Amino acid sequence: MRPDASKKLKAATPKKGANPVIIGGVVAAVVIVGVVVAILIGNSGKSGGASGGSAQPAGVVSGDLGGILANASPAKSNAPTLDLYEDFQCPVCGQLEKAMGPSIASMVQAGDIKLVVHTLSFLDDNLNNDSSKRSANAVACASDVGKFLAYHAAVFAAQPAQEGAGYTDAQLTEFATTAGITGTSLTTWQKCTSSGQHAQYVTDTQSAAEKAGVNSTPTLKLNGKDITKTLSTPEALIAQVKAATK
Amino acid sequence: MGLRSQSDAGRLPEVIGLLARLIVGVVLIWAGAAKVTSPALSARAVRAFQILPYDFAGYVGYALPVVEILVGLLLVIGLFTRLSATVGGILMVAFIIGIASAWARGLTIDCGCFGGGGTIAAAQTQYPRDILRDVGVAACAAWLVARPRTAYSLDQRLFS
Repeated sequence: MRPDASKKLKAATPKKGANPVIIGGVVAAVVIVGVVVAILIGNSGKSGGASGGSAQPAGVVSGDLGGILANASPAKSNAPTLDLYEDFQCPVCGQLEKAMGPSIASMVQAGDIKLVVHTLSFLDDNLNNDSSKRSANAVACASDVGKFLAYHAAVFAAQPAQEGAGYTDAQLTEFATTAGITGTSLTTWQKCTSSGQHAQYVTDTQSAAEKAGVNSTPTLKLNGKDITKTLSTPEALIAQVKAATK
Repeated sequence: MGLRSQSDAGRLPEVIGLLARLIVGVVLIWAGAAKVTSPALSARAVRAFQILPYDFAGYVGYALPVVEILVGLLLVIGLFTRLSATVGGILMVAFIIGIASAWARGLTIDCGCFGGGGTIAAAQTQYPRDILRDVGVAACAAWLVARPRTAYSLDQRLFS
């Protein structure tokens, strides 16, 4: 077959064959180094995603799960908590917002629910961009100036038809205008957004959600119970909220 | 050696072994290569099984593609065939257990075997197909553990 190679091999190795211990040692070393490097790269990628400040946005709900309270004024004392896990780049989240967003917003306004929104950013890894993290930071900045829900709605209203197209910085600024952020608020929002002031918060929100077993969006939890699969219509959600109101 | 090369019957198991090596090796390399460039995704895919603790699942997600590629390469070139096949077989059994467990617990996830992963719609799950594939690969690995002497292997070139 390949007389040259076998001749060379014979010449290069002792007559009794190669030493398995040496070759095995080399292979084991390659495997160990490979695994260690992979873990180091993986870990560095995790923290590298958060470039920017570590400030907590206004309205963050204390506790392990984080999330931003979207209610502008306090909800009724017996109102149940609706946790909403979304990624701004997730098309199904866009559909959910279209179908249920207005109902959810009016329940928030009436104080019938405490709405806690967790803006996830895992789709950045799938789609190879950073639009989820940037828009999540931008909406956290909008919370700082009291316009969380309005900004949230503006992003979803402009979600690109093609998943992965993402959001440009210019679009993020446009959403601020749409959300009615003006004057000094706009200056604050701009500073916050361009410096990625809540980048660490965004990363932490993602890992907190994963730790809580939320690994897909949208996920809705009513008083901690996952109700995502039961929601065919806004009416179904409203009925569940009523049932959970004590 | 003399006896073996004389009889065709003696060669057949070695050729089957070669095929088994290539099947297990290529599947492992393919699976590893699909994931190795996106460690965050791979970590998330492992976490989606909700079996291992969060941080440890992350390490598994980072390391697994590298291990798959290296073990796959060893099998393709036929170096340390028995040990490599043992590792490959253990991986397959672990995957089968993981997928079966996710299925039994009613999770609707993509196994993330060849990239991807995470929760998907219930109708999109492929549990039987994934388990069948891994059982097939595990069977090839078992053959190699039982008969590690295969045709065109570095093991024979170097060590016999």
